[in-house]
Amino acid sequence: MTILLHRIWPVLALVLALFGNAAPARSGDLVIGITQYPTTLHPLINAMMSKSYTHAMTRRPLMTFDPDWNLTCLLCTEIPTFENGRAEREKTPTGQTGVALTFTLHPDAVWADDVPVSSQDVVFTWEVGKHPQSGVAAGETYNQILAIDVVDEKTFVMHIDRLAFDYNDFAGFDILPDHVERSIFEADPANYKSRTAFDTDSLNPGLYHGPYVIAEKVSGSHIALERNPLWWGDAPAFDRIVVRAVENTSALEANLLSGSIDMIAGEVGMNIDQALAFSKRFGNRFNVVHRSGLVYEHIDLNLDNPILADVRVRRALVHAIDREAISMQLFAGRQPVAASNVNPLDSMHDGALQTLEYDVRKAEALLAEAGWDRLRDGVRVNAAGDRLSLEFMTTAGNRTRELVQQVLQSQWARVGIEVRIVNEPARVFFGKTLTERLFTGLAMFAWISAPESLPRTTLHSSHIPDPSNGFGGQNFTGFRNAEVDRLIDEIELELDRDRRRALWSRMQEIYIDQVPVIPLYFRANSYILPPWLDGVTPTGHQFPSTLWVEHWRDNR
Amino acid sequence: MSAYLARRGFHALIVLAVMSFLIYTLMGLMPGDPIDIMLSSEPDMTTEDAARLRALYGLDQPLVARYLNWLSALLSGDPGYSRLHGQPVFDVIGPAVLNTAKLIGAAFVLAAAIGVGLGLVAGAMPRSLRDYAINIIAFAGISVPPFWVALLLILVFAVALGWLPAGGMNLDGTLGGELRHLALPVLALTVASVGGYTRYTRAAVIEAMRQDYIRTARAKGLNGFQVVVGHAMRNAMIPVVTLMALDVGTLFSGALITETVFAYPGMGKLIFDAIMGNDFNLALVALLLATFMTLAGNLLGDLGYVALDPRVRLDEGTGR
Amino acid sequence: MTGLAAAVPERRVLVRLADHTPALLGGLILFVTAIACFSAPLVEGLLGIDADAVNLFNRFQPPGDGHPLGTDEIGRDVLVRLLQGGQVSLLVGLSAAFVAALIGTLVGVCAGYFGGWLDSLLMRVTDGVIALPLLPLLIVLAAIDLEKLGIPAEIAGSEQMSLYRIVFIVSIAGWTTVARIVRGTTLSLKQRTFVRAAVSLGAGPGHIILRHLLPNLASPIIVATTLSVGNIILLESVLSFLGLGIQPPVPSWGNLLTNAQELIWQAPMLAVYPGLAIFVTVISFNLLGDGLQDALDPRSTA
Repeated sequence: MTILLHRIWPVLALVLALFGNAAPARSGDLVIGITQYPTTLHPLINAMMSKSYTHAMTRRPLMTFDPDWNLTCLLCTEIPTFENGRAEREKTPTGQTGVALTFTLHPDAVWADDVPVSSQDVVFTWEVGKHPQSGVAAGETYNQILAIDVVDEKTFVMHIDRLAFDYNDFAGFDILPDHVERSIFEADPANYKSRTAFDTDSLNPGLYHGPYVIAEKVSGSHIALERNPLWWGDAPAFDRIVVRAVENTSALEANLLSGSIDMIAGEVGMNIDQALAFSKRFGNRFNVVHRSGLVYEHIDLNLDNPILADVRVRRALVHAIDREAISMQLFAGRQPVAASNVNPLDSMHDGALQTLEYDVRKAEALLAEAGWDRLRDGVRVNAAGDRLSLEFMTTAGNRTRELVQQVLQSQWARVGIEVRIVNEPARVFFGKTLTERLFTGLAMFAWISAPESLPRTTLHSSHIPDPSNGFGGQNFTGFRNAEVDRLIDEIELELDRDRRRALWSRMQEIYIDQVPVIPLYFRANSYILPPWLDGVTPTGHQFPSTLWVEHWRDNR
Repeated sequence: MSAYLARRGFHALIVLAVMSFLIYTLMGLMPGDPIDIMLSSEPDMTTEDAARLRALYGLDQPLVARYLNWLSALLSGDPGYSRLHGQPVFDVIGPAVLNTAKLIGAAFVLAAAIGVGLGLVAGAMPRSLRDYAINIIAFAGISVPPFWVALLLILVFAVALGWLPAGGMNLDGTLGGELRHLALPVLALTVASVGGYTRYTRAAVIEAMRQDYIRTARAKGLNGFQVVVGHAMRNAMIPVVTLMALDVGTLFSGALITETVFAYPGMGKLIFDAIMGNDFNLALVALLLATFMTLAGNLLGDLGYVALDPRVRLDEGTGR
Repeated sequence: MTGLAAAVPERRVLVRLADHTPALLGGLILFVTAIACFSAPLVEGLLGIDADAVNLFNRFQPPGDGHPLGTDEIGRDVLVRLLQGGQVSLLVGLSAAFVAALIGTLVGVCAGYFGGWLDSLLMRVTDGVIALPLLPLLIVLAAIDLEKLGIPAEIAGSEQMSLYRIVFIVSIAGWTTVARIVRGTTLSLKQRTFVRAAVSLGAGPGHIILRHLLPNLASPIIVATTLSVGNIILLESVLSFLGLGIQPPVPSWGNLLTNAQELIWQAPMLAVYPGLAIFVTVISFNLLGDGLQDALDPRSTA
């Protein structure tokens, strides 16, 4: 046996020599770790964060929200407003008030195969977007455009069928290359979704106009980007950027620590509690940046449940939980407690409103007042002998949510509210339980929204899903409040910012007072960056930090 | 012989047909359709959008009609497009099969080599200390949660020692890089499967050692190890070959856990994502392919059995 | 493999098993583990704690101070959670193995005893199930909507549902091994004099199967079942890893381990405990099963 071992050592040494040490990263390269591989690469079909994150380096939307949450042009030169004359009121053919918006594309904007980005591309994008068979999911963006007049190669006028407060918000409006895609689309619109060059010919430079183009794509593994020699903006620092998907977050961390990846994207990366633990241990080797954003974590209450129909019970539910302690202890204060559905960073937020504070006595008093005044086996019952027992659902497998859920369950138990946890896989939960309002009590999940996004689909009484409307709408709580309905309608058409803010303020007041939803916190994205990387600015909204990748700096 | 093969082929066809229907139905029983899943990530989608997309993807038809459509398309040679990837099914499966074959193939060879070696040593001297030690090792490998082993390997070899990459595909295109990237996932898979081969070989060797001709050989003064290598090995290989043939199917169904932890784009992950994403075409074709290969492997195993052991004749396929 | 178990008298089995040190050790460990797990409420009482009570200000405590193994990420006692998880994992493993053995025995006896077309049919089904790629199928089964199958919402939506679901899924996929073994043994038992004698005395199939076949089938079934319990516990942990296993707040070793692996840098011990528990338990089941197999096989060299 010992002799055998002696013979093995040289072999082992040889093997180790072959493997050597981990490959030194080529300078000029950046490897980004994300947790999800984008499936189709078509920008308009099947929205995915990992796709927008990657495409933000190869393509630019017409405009976006910047890291300070202001609307800003990327492909256009100026945002149309009434003040600068690029927006004009007009009558639509049906007699409604519409608006005409004049856009000019950046004069130097060019596809990476040296064809200028032109008004014709915008027209083509609109044709695809509104075509019922193209497979584009959110058709509304395109259907509201009545016509596009091409003025010249770089200038066009969009005629919109309505005049809303966000009339000029075309953030994230992505443009398709007419010269590459039109022939494919027109040959067979119904099969365009599976013939598009984005998937069949992903390396075609004519699809991209950003600082980078896609140089390599290995499905399920990684996408490698290389400089676009025809990029018209500031020159990016890295020659090559690899976006690598590692779904398991523990493995993702290990990849970072072993040098296989350089950074972890905040947009599609680790949970906050995991990132906090990581920074405690390796904060000296990496910059860990947390940015709270527009992902609103909350609990929908089913208002058709007789227990929850009583607003006193709903208020008691909020008074009974110590959200501040959850935020401090579990998230080190990085995910601020939400007072309502409006983010404190949003210009429409009203910070002066009184919120429902943690006060166990108040909770108990409210419950007693609502008739839940005696205890049996530690659970409150009413005169009829009904137990104060509620079902609490969320997405199974989301560890952070499951933790918060168990904390809340324990806190509610203290005031005699029994909460039964029944979780479901995300696809069941979102695919059926929520959309068909099958949850009987509480449902915890998150909304992702844009700055100043109107909660029409989630709060307006016309958006309560039921069989008669084919389970459309996202007002899962079944909230009906005539004043909120009116406020939403008014806000939509109110162009004056200050008057709009007053309406928003009233809406937040009702939201806090009526508690259709228990606000929990706004989720934070955690970016784990190497110390030599500068210029990554987290945005906190759905438009990723890679839209400014050309400002990232390599200080190695 | 040919009648036997024909019968086996017929049975395989029935299994495949039944299975395709079963999987289609089961996937149909999963709650929510692809459009529901889309809805949760696109807040701007309206009810009309959802209805339009359902019609576009044919999801508004009843399940059985969809299955029959799919089947007739498949039989006419069109496996269809993957909904998730927007590409022809085989364009998606091709690279994944190749990756998986590389990964599992390497682990397969390594596990069989180590397993047979250990099994021979253990079987030559049953009830010895060495036998016990090998037994414990064999059982240890099949008694650990596979994702735990994978993470442990990453923590030790990639993070702590820095010898090997923590996972993912090779980026630099060299053979060395390729091998380095395969090393840890192959090791993880080997740990999990070496026990099976060890146990089978050991049992087979013990069985063979009872045969008269071995006793004769021992009586001639050959020691245990010489007897095993010289005489018992051929007989002992029979069940091992069978086991290997049975494992052929996994070359095509992949190793989901290992692939997930090591971010390796193989068949396991592909099938899992296709099922979870309700990508009927992709999931079905991939699963059918894997099942077909398993059945083929079984047949191969049976044929190998016959080739190695003249006492066995082919009959109803119950040779094992 | 399909040893003629009836030939080994019971007392000799025990003696042989006692000779088999690893098996003995495995059995002992399992016994102690089971006792410990099912005395979780007792431990809770002794320590004066409530394992469900969350304490946000007492997270990640090191061992000691009333918590022998410390506290988890929301301040619950790790030891009690581990024991409770053990209860669930063992229960799932044992009951799924039992149900699988039941199905397998039924199929195997029918196929072996009645033979003919029934045998052909059942064995083709068995071959088919064996050929199925197991994990993807389990995934589909774990995700299907029970209400679409007509199971009432209050049962489909209970906290324990994930437990029943796993038991069901594992047993309908795991019966094939037992079925094959039982069929083989039944075929050979059918040729034995005592069965033939019973047949010639006019005993019906029910009587023969119950009185003559089953008692003699017991040992191979026990061996196969023992070996499968460990596999099922492992399978549960894998399903948990995929988010399809036992759902919190019901703890199982699988979901404790899966949760802990995300906290590997902050609290590595949280991953070590359930991982070790699974490892030790599964290897014990395997060693015990292996020992039983040797002890029950008359030809083995003890």
